[in-house]
This record gives sequence, structure tokens and C-alpha cells, in this order.
Amino acid sequence: MPPAQEINQLGIMAVVLLLVLFYGGTMWMSVGISRKKENADGYMTAGNNIGFGISAASMTATWIWASSMYASATAGYTYGVSGPIHYGLWGALMILFIYPFGKRIRKVAPKAHTLAEVMYARHGRSSQLMLAGSNVLGSLISLTSNFIAGGALIAMLSPLSFGAGIVIVAAGVLMYTLWSGFRASVLTDFAQVMFMLGAAVVVIPVVFFVAGGPGMFEAGVAAGHVTPDQGSFFSSDAFMNQGAPYIAAVLAYAIGNQTIAQRLFSVREDLIKPTFVTATIGYGATVIGIGMLGVMALYLGVEPMNGDVNNLVPQMAGTYLGPILLALAFLMIIGALSSTADSDLAALSSIVMADMYGQSVGRDKANPKTMLLVGRVSMIVATAAALYFATAQFNILDLLVFVGALWGCLVFPVIASFYWPKVTNAAFTAAVIAALVAFLPVRFEWIPFTGAVGLGVELLATVGIGVVLGIMAFGFFGLRPAVVIGGLATVVAAPFTLFFLRDYTVLSASLVAYAVSFLVCYLMSFRSKQDFDFSVIKDVTGDFDNEAPVATGAVGSAELATRGAGRTD
Amino acid sequence: MTIGLTIYVLMWPVIVAAILFLIARGFFRDVSEAKKEGRPVI
Repeated sequence: MPPAQEINQLGIMAVVLLLVLFYGGTMWMSVGISRKKENADGYMTAGNNIGFGISAASMTATWIWASSMYASATAGYTYGVSGPIHYGLWGALMILFIYPFGKRIRKVAPKAHTLAEVMYARHGRSSQLMLAGSNVLGSLISLTSNFIAGGALIAMLSPLSFGAGIVIVAAGVLMYTLWSGFRASVLTDFAQVMFMLGAAVVVIPVVFFVAGGPGMFEAGVAAGHVTPDQGSFFSSDAFMNQGAPYIAAVLAYAIGNQTIAQRLFSVREDLIKPTFVTATIGYGATVIGIGMLGVMALYLGVEPMNGDVNNLVPQMAGTYLGPILLALAFLMIIGALSSTADSDLAALSSIVMADMYGQSVGRDKANPKTMLLVGRVSMIVATAAALYFATAQFNILDLLVFVGALWGCLVFPVIASFYWPKVTNAAFTAAVIAALVAFLPVRFEWIPFTGAVGLGVELLATVGIGVVLGIMAFGFFGLRPAVVIGGLATVVAAPFTLFFLRDYTVLSASLVAYAVSFLVCYLMSFRSKQDFDFSVIKDVTGDFDNEAPVATGAVGSAELATRGAGRTD
Repeated sequence: MTIGLTIYVLMWPVIVAAILFLIARGFFRDVSEAKKEGRPVI
């Protein structure tokens, strides 16, 4: 039995030195690219022309956050060998499945800054506000979560307190992101991904061999640490409780999260595919690899420190690594949470700049200097708010469920709006609200799901399976195969889901949201007379800053008139 | 079982190393192209 409660720590001087090195280095990179006069569009999208190396690094770094490392290890510890696959693989495939839609989005809105801004051009204010509001809330929650992870890590691996830890992380991230915004975020992502991936390459095999190597598996089974289900790659428990809800959720996070959209708008258009494919493999291998620490902990019979499975990664590192590799593991987690936190700040500020300030005063009247000030102030306010939530131990879980649900409700209407000219603003808005109304009682089990109600929920959830698979197929193969795959999936799944899914409310609720948003959006749109002209979107979503290196098309009221002509709702 | 699980655990760092190499090579190519064209890398 390995030591469970006594782990190696880094001394206070070592931690301070590592943090100064890390945040000092990222600050140095940020200062290196700073301009005396920052460009407002560059602050949000870095000129829409980033190369493969930086964008692939940024995409990978942004999606690997401390929580994904902790959650993957937790899945390995809870569900056994298949657990990390059911966490990391689906998260990785989400990046892959979203890139065909990303190409379409860039085609219709090559110079946009946020997805909400595109929705404004496509539909109008209400759909824009739904996306922008959920994005701001989502970024704030993610920021809070990363600060909490940083504080907990520093408190566990050093003599510093949790409070000191979150302040150091918040100050460090804000310091290097504030001046150059998104440009700083993506460039520092490269250094952070080098730390993260480099550490993962070393830490996983070292922990494996120090903890006992291949012998740990037989010993773990012999000691009764592992159930047959945990030892199986085909664990139904892992699939139903971890994998399936995550498959349903990943599309929602990809569509709803502005950090993805921002990278989509910043990468050179012809590099979208290689960037997304590389990030898919990079994210998947790293997160599943870190999940192996949880699998090892299970076989070794490790008890999570303080009974909290979120402590498993630092606990395994602190137990089996010496000071130098422990410092590397520390930097790996600090890199993961900082890269996501800076992306959250950049995403949040872009939404406030483009969707709140820019669209409220009008593109032709927006002052780039004021816009930059608004962006920087919003970063400071967001950091302060996240620090407050983190120190007040505010329960963000319900809020996270709500935001995730809202994003799930948005997936079909958003994607349909990029391809189907008949989708109206009324259909979009009604679909999202109806889906949210259907989601909440299922997710929080406000009513008992028995009899006809239970069957109704299962019927909708079964349609939801078809919708999810249909959307995924649509991106790669087009409409007809998507309809066939979605329809077949619904029919084939029905015998297995009816009278069964009611016991899995998390999964059922997500699927119901997809089904209801699809049904309402489709039924309200298919007889619509609207024939939206997608070409007007690129005229409405251009640069704000006149001093941008690349000129945009016409702006101002003429565009709005064109857009108004294209929309009939 | 032991060999299979050992490979399963150790294959991920190998894949990560390959991606690390690809990203690093891509980054230095980005820097080199930017230098050639006389523009900032970002």
C-alpha cells in the first residue's frame, strides 16, 4: 500500500521561484509582442491570420485545463481502465466534429470576432444576447474554476495557503493578458503547451515505473482494489455515467464556448483542418494520459487525500515524484489552468467589446480606443468577480449545469442558422427557450419520471440521440447522410432506451434539450418564407478598428439595410 | 493482461511526444516565415 496522506511538497521558495519563472516568462512574451498602440481587432482575433504552430498550440492548451486533468484521473479512478477514454476521447472528438462547422462559419463570417456577433448578423439581438450572455457566464465560471484549481494545487504542494494561491494565479494571468489580449493569450499558449505536453511525456511513465511498473496490475486485482467492471474496457457503467452524457455535452461546449470560436476566427482559413485535427490528438492523448494516473491510483489502492478525488493528480505526483519532476508536474498543472484562464479573459473581453459595446453603439461609431479600454476593464472586473466567487466558495456547479444546458439548447439552432436560410429569429429564440424549459425539470428531477411522463422523456431523449448523431454526420457528409444516420439511430436506439433512460437523468436531460430545440426550430422554420442571404453576414461582421492591417468591406447603415432586407422575421 | 495494460498506459505519452514535436516544428516554421516576410509572428 503506497503512502496516501504524506506526500512530498515543494518548499515555499521553490514554489515562489517557479511561479515567478512561469508568470515572468509569459509576461516577458507578452511584453515582446505589445504595441504602443494596440489594435482593437488584433486584441480580439490577432488579425485572422495565425499560422499552424501557434494555433494548434493554442487550441490544445486552451482545451486542456486543470479540471480536465483532474476529471480524467477521477474517471480512471472511478470507472477503471475505460474511464479516461470515456472522458478524454469524447472531449477530443468534439474538437474534430466541430471543425467542418468552423469552416462554414469562417466562410460566411471571415472577419467576425465572436459567434454571438455572427448570430446578430444572422438573426438579431435576442439570439446574440443568448449566446453572448451564456458565453460571459461560462467564461466567468471557467475562470473561477481555474483559480480554485490553482489555489488548491499551491496549497497542497507548498506551505502557501489557498487564498494566497488564487491571488497569485489571478494576478499572474491578468498581468500578461491585460495589455495584448488575445494575441498574448495565443502566443503564451505555445510556451504553456510545451510545459504541459512535455511534463505529461515524462511524468506519466515515471510515476508508472516508480509506483511498481507492470506488476501493479496483477497486485491490484489480487488485492481486490479493482472490480471486474473497472478492469474492463467495455464497462457499461463507465459508458452510461461518464461517456454518453459527455458525448451529448461536447457539441454544446464546442458551439457555446467563445474560446473555440475565437481561435476559429483567428487561424488562417486554410489551416482550420490541420489545426483542429492536431488539437484533437494532442488534447485526447494528454488528457487520457493524465487519466492513467487515476487508473494507477485505483490499482494501487490509493485513498484520495481528504476523500476528494480531485486531489488525485497532485497526490500521485507528490507521492511518486522527486523534487525536480514534482516541480515539472506543478508547472504542467499551472500551465493548464493559466492557458485556459487567459483564454477565458480574452474571450470574455471580446464579447464585451464586440457584442456589448461595439454592437450597441454601432460599428461605424465604435471608438477603437474606448473599445480597448472596455476590453481591459472587463478583464479586471472578471478577474475580481472570479476571485470573489473562488474565495467565497460559491457553489458554481448548478450554474455550470445551467450554462452547459443553455449551450446544448443552442447547438441545433446555431448550426441550422449557418446552413438553412429558412431559420428565423423567432424559431431560434423559441427553440432555445423551449429546450431549456424541457431540460430543467428532467435534469433536476423536479417531477417523478414514471408512467407516461417517463415514457415521454425517453421518447424525446431517443430523438435527441438521432439529433446528436445527425449533427455530427452532417458536418462531414452533408444533409442526406445526416438524415439517414439520425433517423436510423433513433429507430435502432428506441428498443434500448425506452423504459431504461429514466434512470440516467443527466444523459436524458441533455438529449431532451437537443430533441426539443431541433423539433421546435424545424417545425417553426420549414414553412417559413424567409430566404436569408448569407453573403450579408460578412459585411456586417467586419473590423472595428480603421487602422487594422487588412481592410474590410463596407460598414454602417448600408449593411444594416442589406441585412434587414435579407431577414423577414 | 499485464503487457496489454502496460502498453495502454505508456502509449499516451508517446503520442503526446509526437504532437509536441509537430507543434514545436510548426511554431518555429511560423516564426521563420514571419521573419522572411518581415511581419510580426502574431
